[in-house]
Amino acid sequence: MTHRWRAVQTYPETIYSMLWFELLIQGIIHGSMYAIIAVGLSLVYGLLRILHVAHAGLFTLGGYLGLLLTNATGSLILATPVAAAVVGVIGMIIYRVCYHPILDQPPYVALIASIGLFIAMEEIYRLIFGPYGLSYARPPLQFQVQFFGIQLRAAEVGMVVVSTVLLTALSYLSQKTRLGIAWRATVDDPQMAASFGIDAVRVRYLNFFIGSALAAVGGIYVSLLSNLVEPTMGGVPSYKALAIIVLGGLGNLKGTLIAALLLGIVEAFGTIYIGQWLDRDAIAFALLIVILMIRPQGLFAGR
Amino acid sequence: MTALLEIQDVGVQFGGVRALTNVGFSVATGEFLSLIGPNGAGKTTLVRGITGVIRLQQGRIVFAGRDISAWPVHRRIRAGLAMTHQIVRPFHSMTVLDNVALPAGHENIGNVVKALLRLNRSPARKKALELLSLVEIVDVAHQSVRGLPLGVVKRLELARALALEPQLLLLDEPLAGLNSQEAARLADMITGINRQGVTIMMIEHNLGEVLRVSRRLVVLDNGRKIADGDPDTVMADPVVRSAYVGKEKQDAAP
Amino acid sequence: MVGINIILALSLNLITGFCGQISLGHAAFYGIGAYCTALLAKIGMPLPLTLLAGTILAGGVGLIVGLTSLRVRDDFLAITTMGVGFLFVGIVRQQDLLGGEMGISAIPSSGLGKIGFLLLVLVFVVLVTIWNLFVKKSWMGFAFDAVADDEDTARLLSVDVAAYKLAAFAMGTALAGLAGGLYVYFARFIVPDDFGFIMSISILSMVAVGGIGSVAGVLSATIILTLMPEFFRFVSDYKLLIYGALLFFVMRFAPGGMAGFVRRLFLSARSSSGAGP
Ligand SMILES: Nc1ncnc2c1ncn2[C@@H]1O[C@H](COP(=O)(O)OP(=O)(O)O)[C@@H](O)[C@H]1O
Ligand SMILES: [Mg+2]
Repeated sequence: MTHRWRAVQTYPETIYSMLWFELLIQGIIHGSMYAIIAVGLSLVYGLLRILHVAHAGLFTLGGYLGLLLTNATGSLILATPVAAAVVGVIGMIIYRVCYHPILDQPPYVALIASIGLFIAMEEIYRLIFGPYGLSYARPPLQFQVQFFGIQLRAAEVGMVVVSTVLLTALSYLSQKTRLGIAWRATVDDPQMAASFGIDAVRVRYLNFFIGSALAAVGGIYVSLLSNLVEPTMGGVPSYKALAIIVLGGLGNLKGTLIAALLLGIVEAFGTIYIGQWLDRDAIAFALLIVILMIRPQGLFAGR
Repeated sequence: MTALLEIQDVGVQFGGVRALTNVGFSVATGEFLSLIGPNGAGKTTLVRGITGVIRLQQGRIVFAGRDISAWPVHRRIRAGLAMTHQIVRPFHSMTVLDNVALPAGHENIGNVVKALLRLNRSPARKKALELLSLVEIVDVAHQSVRGLPLGVVKRLELARALALEPQLLLLDEPLAGLNSQEAARLADMITGINRQGVTIMMIEHNLGEVLRVSRRLVVLDNGRKIADGDPDTVMADPVVRSAYVGKEKQDAAP
Repeated sequence: MVGINIILALSLNLITGFCGQISLGHAAFYGIGAYCTALLAKIGMPLPLTLLAGTILAGGVGLIVGLTSLRVRDDFLAITTMGVGFLFVGIVRQQDLLGGEMGISAIPSSGLGKIGFLLLVLVFVVLVTIWNLFVKKSWMGFAFDAVADDEDTARLLSVDVAAYKLAAFAMGTALAGLAGGLYVYFARFIVPDDFGFIMSISILSMVAVGGIGSVAGVLSATIILTLMPEFFRFVSDYKLLIYGALLFFVMRFAPGGMAGFVRRLFLSARSSSGAGP
């Protein structure tokens, strides 16, 4: 189930000629992809203390919608926001239908419900779109770009640019708009925020909308990198995203971003230097375990 | 009288906040000592430092002549300490009875392997029932803890601590949240326990009850000990009055 | 297969059900037991020894992983154990000695015949079930309840939380290793993905759907969840969908699992009959 994913990421034909600079760039590319997925998870965790595994299902859905809309309209620029908005709304529905009623249960309840939901989502995609995945009719952003002597595909650059722009915008909005301030207040201290008349439930909807929409954008760009959308594409990146939010200190957004980049870079180097002992996914989790043993609260303590 | 507990030059910091600075005093066997001071003075922190729930950055805790500063919590408890929480924390998944039966059977759980071989819970339950009648909540023994009023749960906390048969009982605001009748009754109970030879160190804001039952006061303010002595002298101390009254006023005006 | 899954689910029940330590990587220990047994069986060791070795090795590694549960808690522990699961599969995949992606095949048979092996599994199922019930009744189970409920308070009541957690991990992972060993003789062919994340989740689902900590609940949930895919074979396309949906719906509408659900039914039946004329 993970083969395709790894084949996409490691570019075996070029792997041994990569300079460390190229590895760094590859790390940043993957890191920004992890970041855009992990931020949504981190948002949900920060607010509700739920490990939202079904987030991965929304990531995949984003990939499907982006691809279908691009194929239908011929325009990625049009398809991306539409797909993100639709997935965002579905994220809100998932919150309302799935999580809202079980918030007062022990944490494993929501975790297992979420895993069940994720499995069901993957299966629904498989039944609707078929098991072998879909490809773009005319894949956009596949031309090569020169960057300090390195050949990159436009989709790779796009991944980094889009992720940076969106996350910067998110941080700006959360600091400058009223809704953003309400949101941060609720994350910091729900009771206090409620006493100031902030509607916590509305904030949660917003949270799920933003997180899910970001995941959808992540899904679209990953599908551009591989020119493939398949039902199981959400699994591995989302498990890694879980590792990332834990590494970053659960619920800590800055920590999440740094951990995402760190993981991307460590993976890029690790695959070259210790690849014969551990595969790429195992490297990620080895890093996770080592760091947690040294700092059990993650790199940056949560609240 | 010999010192049962010696608190020596204790310092605790949370991040940048100094919760305790150079606090030191000792508690004699059989004493009934109350620890008072404004909110945030560091009283809870001190008690948590004594039981090992938090680590001291500085200083030592000597209990019954042994330096226990590096011991894990459960070992300190087995040595004869017990503590109740300021904010009650019963086991919600158990009945009231079992909440007390677990510590009442503490000799069964000292060793993991032996614990597996012990199956009989009735002696511990019997002892737990006795303790529950002592704190006068035996009628709810078989109920789940959920939904019980605070007054009952506070007494449950006390019974649970007593079940450990401690030499030194550390009580963190046992009377908070109770009405004056309930508070007086519980304070009397605690006095009774003290008479039976259990040394008591009680954190309490209810000054009326504190002055009624305790024989020695230690006052903390801003993480420092500002007074220590018999109640009348301490309450007459201008330093204590200003610390207390000043804070009280701040608290009153949010 | 049902028997092996029961052992597996009850082994996790010791860790998650009784002691409250969520593990998302339990399949790794199942895998360690399986690989150890398989390798030893291939060099000609007899069944009792291979099973014992698999059990001990899994329990030993489990003890080490249990040490992590002393450092990290709750969600951090869930993700750490998930990491252990991925790490195990990742290591096995890259080791030629362990067969890499291709796994290990041509494993010798148990030598007990079909019925004999079935009986062996059955005996283990009964033993492990009794063991679970025994632990639950003992003071160890009482201490586990306390650790699962609130470990800080348990400590203040003289419970050596670290020792109990380690005991739970050691017992649970050792039994998972035993299940792995039995699986080897059952399937006679293993690949890394048999012991991956999906498997860990399936085990956890059996425990959670049954009702965390309830031996009877876990038993029945395991039987249902294991047989269900067979039962739905005629709609094999929807098998996983139904599985996922079932997990979701049980947690969403009966978070206490089947045991909790039955208990609730029972209570409400009793209270309504009590209120009736
Ligand atoms: N776990 C903690 N983390 C950070 N600060 C803490 C923690 N516990 C207590 N403090 C701080 O230490 C100081 C003393 O608190 P505490 O001992 O609870 O006071 P008291 O019990 O006297 O009201 C306060 O400023 C409080 O904010
Ligand atoms: Mg306090």
